[in-house]
Amino acid sequence: MNAFWARLAHVNWPGLPARATRQWRRSLQFRTVIISMAMSGVAIILVGVYMSFSISNDLFASRLDQVLGESQRAQIAAQRIFDSSDATDRASVQSVMNAARTAIRDATSSGLIAVYRAPGQDGSLTAPQNFTSPELTNGVITPDLRTEVENGGGAQFWQSASIPTNGVLSPGLAVGTLMDIPGNGVYELYIGYDLAQAEETLQFIQQVLWISGLGLLLLVGAIAWVVARLVVSPIRFAAETSERLAAGDLAVRIPERGEDVVATLARSFNHMADNMQGQLTELAELSVMQQRFVSDVSHELRTPLTTIRLAGDMLYDQRDDFDQTTRRTTELLHTQVQRFEKLLGDLLEISRYDAGSVDVETEPTNVAQLAQDIVGSMTTLAEKYGSELSLRAPGGHFNADVDPRRVRRIVTNLIGNAIEHGEGKPIEIEVDSNATAVAIAVRDYGVGMTQEQTAQAFSRFWRADPSRQRTLGGTGLGLAISLEDTRVHQGTLDVWASPGRGARFRLTLPRSQKVPIASSPLSLEPVPVVPHSDGGAA
Amino acid sequence: MTTRILVVDDDSALAEMVGIVLRSEGFEPSFCADGSAALAAFHTANPDLILLDLMLPGMDGIEVCEQIRSESGVPIIMLTAKTDATDVVAGLEAGADDYIVKPFNPKELIARIRTRLRPTQITSAQILNIGDIVVDISGHEVTRGGARISLTPLEFDLLAALASKPAQVFTREMLLEQVWGYQYKADTRLVNVHVQRLRSKVEHDADNPTIVTTVRGVGYRAGSVV
Repeated sequence: MNAFWARLAHVNWPGLPARATRQWRRSLQFRTVIISMAMSGVAIILVGVYMSFSISNDLFASRLDQVLGESQRAQIAAQRIFDSSDATDRASVQSVMNAARTAIRDATSSGLIAVYRAPGQDGSLTAPQNFTSPELTNGVITPDLRTEVENGGGAQFWQSASIPTNGVLSPGLAVGTLMDIPGNGVYELYIGYDLAQAEETLQFIQQVLWISGLGLLLLVGAIAWVVARLVVSPIRFAAETSERLAAGDLAVRIPERGEDVVATLARSFNHMADNMQGQLTELAELSVMQQRFVSDVSHELRTPLTTIRLAGDMLYDQRDDFDQTTRRTTELLHTQVQRFEKLLGDLLEISRYDAGSVDVETEPTNVAQLAQDIVGSMTTLAEKYGSELSLRAPGGHFNADVDPRRVRRIVTNLIGNAIEHGEGKPIEIEVDSNATAVAIAVRDYGVGMTQEQTAQAFSRFWRADPSRQRTLGGTGLGLAISLEDTRVHQGTLDVWASPGRGARFRLTLPRSQKVPIASSPLSLEPVPVVPHSDGGAA
Repeated sequence: MTTRILVVDDDSALAEMVGIVLRSEGFEPSFCADGSAALAAFHTANPDLILLDLMLPGMDGIEVCEQIRSESGVPIIMLTAKTDATDVVAGLEAGADDYIVKPFNPKELIARIRTRLRPTQITSAQILNIGDIVVDISGHEVTRGGARISLTPLEFDLLAALASKPAQVFTREMLLEQVWGYQYKADTRLVNVHVQRLRSKVEHDADNPTIVTTVRGVGYRAGSVV
């Protein structure tokens, strides 16, 4: 018990409403219990009030009947004593009066008596004096009651009154009537009755009512708790199971017991889970099969392609000995075999990404140096198309944790695209870094792309303009592979483009694979470049 | 005397075509189409170099490679359609000196072959010492305390390259260029795998190397770091 109080003392009382609200929102069982108890509570209070009210009325009415009967008998007994007396002198009249008082006291359960000589009578020398029990003084008998009794012609009148018992005021009744003392005029008789006992009974009954009501309420709460638990537990289990299913644990099931609604829920849930698992497994198998197929096809194509390549190159090396037509044919064979080979390589690379069998092999790499290197190796190609490559590298001169072969492939591809779509205008390459990331942006001033085209730019085999010939012999997989290359680095590759204004591709890579990118050091949209801002760039 | 090359490949068209390329360059090719017959073909042909396809019927190319390597240090170049890291590394660990990914072109093939066949570059010193190892360049021999250590020509080249400049740290790219003849960036795993193979032969404790030591983040050098 002490432990219980100690626990109560440690309850966080100010936090209780908040916790109750949370519990209300989250626990179906808690809500059921509270609602059951609230509704039963209202019913119990209504019944209790009604019972208490009618019992108290009944108690009062029966007590009143008893009191009025007693009072009447007392009055009759007293009157009889007066009627049979023949006393004439003051002393004997007084003794008759005393006898009457004793008779009254005997006839009633109450000893509280008041006798007044009714006003408006001639004075009499022998008339006995008024007397009042001390409890009935202090306005217990009101002037109203007296007026009623005086004018009532011998009928009984009563009123509620507060009668002091043992120094405490308790509810009571005052009953008044008239007595005729022969030769001495009319007297008013008042008898006071104490209702303390009835009050006690009533209080006891009320107490019993409230205690049993409270007990009933707790019982209802307990019943609601048990019933709700019976119903809620399977539902809660179902909810937890479906949560686990949603989280990817396809093997979970709900045990099916009985034939009630919960069992039906379990059965249909399990059925659904079976179906889902089956379909997902099938899909996964299909996907694996397809990836393996693509990979196998690519591999199988490689051996005959090697033979074709060797044969084509042998012919190509001797093309000067051929006539015009054969020479051109040999050249076409040579270039198209190369293109085919590149396409096959890209296809294999993509299938490897699709199969998820790509590991990034990072090593400390100076990205600015790498960009410089790539720009250098592509300058000749760019010049062939009339574009001038320029590199601006305010940052990136440190060793970032990246896979240099993949980064080289991405940047080479971006610059290649810029050359192809740049219409011979300058191409700007920017490298910058911040605390978490290093970025490379490639900007061309060529045809650019519309917004719909931009959204498609990374799709496989998508071409911005199908009628345009692919001068650089791209496979249509370049950007898709670049995107995958970026993703294995946990980096981002995005594009800004505007028709007629060119395009700007931005590659952002984390400096370390362990630290995620907070923000890219370069803006996606082109900003006017301030000349000679090396080192001062923000 | 013509240089003999054994081509082990189950694709007859490719083998024939490779043969044509080799003949046009003055080599003398012989062929084998089955993995289980490769070792016998090696014994009969006694080739100066082997071109070995990794995917073979009968016996896996990697197994063939291990068998040949157990008897001879003859240069082996793998032909592989798979660029998956595991296959390449498995082939190199089985003892292949180099690999070419299909599809390749004739120039590439010939260049790889010639690199593996060329005589070791003459350095000024003829006898080099690393630790307790003696490298005799002209005799093409490596000894420890008079006992001969058997190395493949590639492993010898690798050790000789490192020993020729003991003060210098060689990056993997430098070694690829000097030992494998790659002019451009190539697969640095070639270096890693062969350094491991070399260490297993010349080091007292391969996990704690003193002859070929790693310089973290840079590459390798001969002898302990002073």
